Amino acid sequence: MNTSIAAVLLIAAELYRSALPGYRYDFPRDHFNHPEFQTEWWYYTGNLHDAQGRKFGFELTFFRQGVVRSKQPPDVWDVRDVWLAHLALSDLDGGKFLHAQRLNRSGAGLAGASFDQVRVWNGNWSVLWDLHAGTQRLQAVDRRFSLDFSMRSLKPPVIHGSNGVSQKAAGPGQASHYVSLTRIETKGSIMLGGRTFFVEGLAWMDHEIFTHQLAAGQTGWDWFSLQFDDGTELMLYRFRRENGTLDPFSAGTYIDKAGKTTNLTASQFAVVPGKMWQKYPIEWTVRVPSLGIDAQLTTRLPNQELDDSQQNRYWEGAIEVSGTRRGVGYLEMTGYAAPVPSVIKGDR
Amino acid sequence: MSYLKIFYYLFARPLWRERLRTTLVIATVALGVAVVLAIEMAGEAAAGSFRSSVETLAGSADFEVTATGGVSPQVLTRLALLPQALKLRPRLEDYATIAASNRVVPLIGVDMLADAAANQDNAGAGEFQNDGSIWVGKDAGFTVGDKARLVVNDQANDYTVRGIIDSAGEAIVMDLAPVTRLLRRAGQLDRILIDVPTPGDQWQAILQKALPEGVTLAPQGSHTAENRRMLAAFRWNLRVLSYIALLVGAFLIYNTISVSVVRRREEIGIVRALGATRFAVLFAFLLEAACFGLIGGLAGVLLGRLMATGSVRLVATTVESLYVSSTPAPIALTAAISLTGIAIGILVSVVSALAPALEASRVVPVEAMARGRRDHEVRMQQGRDLAFSVALAIGAWFASQQPAIGGKPLFGYLAALLLIGASALAIPALVSVLSKATSNAVGRLLGVEALLASRSLAGSLRRTAVLVGALSTAIAMLSAVGIMVGSFRQTVLLWMEDRLQADLYLRPTGPAGADRHPTLSPAVLASLAALPEVAEVDPFRAYEISYGGLPATLGAGDARISGRYGQRPFHSGAHPGDVFARLIGHDNVIVSEPFANKHNVKAGDTLELPLGQRPVRFQVLDIYGDYSNERGYIIMDRGTLLKYLPDPAPSNMAVYLKPGTDLQTGRRAVEKALGSHKAIVFTNRSLREEAIVVFDRTFAITYALEAIAVFVAVMGVAGALLALVIDRRREFGLLRFLGGSVGQIRRIIIFEAGLLGIFANIAGVILGYALSLLLIYVINRQSFGWTIEFHWPVTVLLSALSIVYAATLLAALYPSQVAAKLVPIEVIHEH
Repeated sequence: MNTSIAAVLLIAAELYRSALPGYRYDFPRDHFNHPEFQTEWWYYTGNLHDAQGRKFGFELTFFRQGVVRSKQPPDVWDVRDVWLAHLALSDLDGGKFLHAQRLNRSGAGLAGASFDQVRVWNGNWSVLWDLHAGTQRLQAVDRRFSLDFSMRSLKPPVIHGSNGVSQKAAGPGQASHYVSLTRIETKGSIMLGGRTFFVEGLAWMDHEIFTHQLAAGQTGWDWFSLQFDDGTELMLYRFRRENGTLDPFSAGTYIDKAGKTTNLTASQFAVVPGKMWQKYPIEWTVRVPSLGIDAQLTTRLPNQELDDSQQNRYWEGAIEVSGTRRGVGYLEMTGYAAPVPSVIKGDR
Repeated sequence: MSYLKIFYYLFARPLWRERLRTTLVIATVALGVAVVLAIEMAGEAAAGSFRSSVETLAGSADFEVTATGGVSPQVLTRLALLPQALKLRPRLEDYATIAASNRVVPLIGVDMLADAAANQDNAGAGEFQNDGSIWVGKDAGFTVGDKARLVVNDQANDYTVRGIIDSAGEAIVMDLAPVTRLLRRAGQLDRILIDVPTPGDQWQAILQKALPEGVTLAPQGSHTAENRRMLAAFRWNLRVLSYIALLVGAFLIYNTISVSVVRRREEIGIVRALGATRFAVLFAFLLEAACFGLIGGLAGVLLGRLMATGSVRLVATTVESLYVSSTPAPIALTAAISLTGIAIGILVSVVSALAPALEASRVVPVEAMARGRRDHEVRMQQGRDLAFSVALAIGAWFASQQPAIGGKPLFGYLAALLLIGASALAIPALVSVLSKATSNAVGRLLGVEALLASRSLAGSLRRTAVLVGALSTAIAMLSAVGIMVGSFRQTVLLWMEDRLQADLYLRPTGPAGADRHPTLSPAVLASLAALPEVAEVDPFRAYEISYGGLPATLGAGDARISGRYGQRPFHSGAHPGDVFARLIGHDNVIVSEPFANKHNVKAGDTLELPLGQRPVRFQVLDIYGDYSNERGYIIMDRGTLLKYLPDPAPSNMAVYLKPGTDLQTGRRAVEKALGSHKAIVFTNRSLREEAIVVFDRTFAITYALEAIAVFVAVMGVAGALLALVIDRRREFGLLRFLGGSVGQIRRIIIFEAGLLGIFANIAGVILGYALSLLLIYVINRQSFGWTIEFHWPVTVLLSALSIVYAATLLAALYPSQVAAKLVPIEVIHEH
């Protein structure tokens, strides 16, 4: 037998930790890496506009997927974690949706998330924190466009769910640690087609940490982040099940102007799909009777579907909110055009 | 009278009557053109369109980053973090031997995670970083799921083929992680390919700023370009060799047209009398030659394509053993090559026909009946020709003293051509002097047939001289190349005697080559040194580097041991012990002779070599003779090398046994100490034998080319003798009437061929000796930079010349048969 194979098998593979109740958050440390969990992602989305009112949406997502966990130090090219990143720019008035993706290993610092370096990055797509000033700098370069934003969170981090976990299915560990920055003041520039647009607006950051959070019967989800003009925000997600019903673990969080949060359970809200674009419903009605919310979600750009030709195909796009509250937001729909990757689901 | 009619009367009819000879001329042109084209195509496939086989899967990138000893992983990170939309592809590039077929294929490490094009199966990290997983190119000969045993460096391992990569040729592809372990690298990359988002001149500067000093940034394929530059000189010489057959063919075309001018004097006189202008006659003869050229050229293109298939392997072998690992590209018969071939055919025919055609155009109508005058003129001009011959020889001497132009020994070739010209001009005198001086003796010794043959040769001097010229040129080329290669071989043998002083030599079983240096595990070094039978182990490590835009080999051994056992003095005359002692502990190097010549380096010069992450300056102490490869060596002490490139794995080892140790005992001990490491153990003797086998294989192509040239010449002799027979049929008829037997007629022809062969051999060996001096001291030195000591390869030369001589006699058999079958009564009454 090949001696090197034996060497690999000898690596003491350790189990990943699950997201369990009682997790004590420690910020700013918890904005960075958690290698003891198998999956971790940082989602930045936002609605921006330039001085002339030209509107843009953007998404920059860093994923970390653990492959093997060991206390033994890795060789430089060993793949202990796969780092995936998605970058998208919605030119809402120009009618263009541009997106790119990249995969990297940690290498000698090719990609990672590090509290010591106060940054999360994948090559030259990065978010660098300034802990002292409480700001973040987001930069991303693609052949067709690039982003460079200064960001400042206007509210403290929002911890979703209860007792430190956001339960996604029945059973211990089928959950995530889920934190959001729901109102990030964003200023900066977008280079697109040889032009530079100086933009400002609001961004949203989701950071989720887990090991197999979904259950087998959950086929996909719809996720909403709404930033209302009155200074409040609403996050909702619902799981769709194989049998066509809605999953009781669907939930949400309402954040008032001062940053105080209210958890919403599946029975407290309704999201109703409307007009379709291809397989995706791109218009929705959102009702939260207890909060007096009855809002219509529409988008200026029907095609905001990302397809990274790996396993991931989903719609993630900028939306506008009207009705009892007005504002902007982002909508994510997964599992419509391709199944949700198994690593996220609990196929253990 | 129209040109076409002249053409018909003067040529179409006679050509049909003499179809055998016509066929021979066309075949001569065809063979000459075919050889040139075959070498052109095979050279292009094996060397010209050279694309290093490690370029497999490299696609087209804009830049590449390389460093001696490898590019550190941090360099990739620095590039990846630049705020530019670059596409980066890190690679490890080596070779593996497929154990089942013993085939050497590129082994390419790629980032299977980041490079979607390389990972077309979308394999997961768990699968591609498994040490037993490989992907293979379509041409590697595997299907998915196959087990494959690969030998890399000194290890043989078993792998499972996980997938096929369409664009990977015959390469084995692995992810960076397992291939790094397999090649015992410390994370270092061989190359980073970079795609920039927009074309522009600014990129070199932008990228350079991100790179540490010792790292080289160059347009992608620079390595390939360097190798092409290196191979250019080799191709040039190969090309020149291929023109020999054509040159010999030119002699024969000249001869044939001259003969037909002489034979058609009557017809020429008649058409001139009927009002054809001189120009019309000239045009008609040139048109005839052009037709020969066209038809021969067309046939040559087809024949050349066939011969290219045969020769590409030979050319590739030479390239592989002397220069660089390469996979021959498919042979491409392009329109350009075909047209070149046809053009060469026409050009050579027309140029060769120019002199006889001019002569034909000068035929005065009344002169047409007078025979024999022309031969007289030839004798009259011998004095003048000899003077010209001496002038050309002096010109050749001057040309041989000139330096190379752009690395090409153009004046050397000119000198060779001038020498051939000088010899052609001197041959009539030689033949007439020799045949006169010997005819009586020949007659006494061999009988009346020999006497007649000798007289007849001297009599038809014009045609004889051309024949001797053609055959002697072919023989000269054969002897010259034979002497050169033989001298080279002897030089290498003597050099090995001095150079190889150790008892045993080891190198990894993994694929080695002029540019490939698989390594042995450092553990082997320790275990061998600890053996009680072993006195010393000298580890040698080689790296491929780029110096002055050309590939070179950087090597290091234990200078203390080399100094103790070294025999051969350096170029300065210094003793090896003294020079090697000064290598130790200093940034000093010695360089091999080909390196010194190629880069014009002298003792005392300073070389700047990029090592690791920074450039280091070295002083050249001396130059040493080396014949192991043409790339050239820079040698330093192992301690110096390890200071800059701290990888202790040796590429090969020389083992010195303790005095009194039995060789086989020592060998067995060494083999046992190797354990599971796969290495080839040579004894001093078997290493030398292997080296000479490689040497002979390397020069196989030159012998093949010579053989074809000789074949063309011998074929020409057959054709010319046949013409002679047909011309002299009345003479033979008369001899028969005078009582000559069929056997005697046959013997006359054979004796003529025999004499012709002797004259050609004498002239050929003289010319060949002169040409061999040019090859050894001018052309070889200027193209390759090797010092070759002159040696007469007596056995090889004698056997080659005997074969040529026998072939000449054989060539006379058919004409002698024709002469013997002539019916006396018929030929006497012709006209």
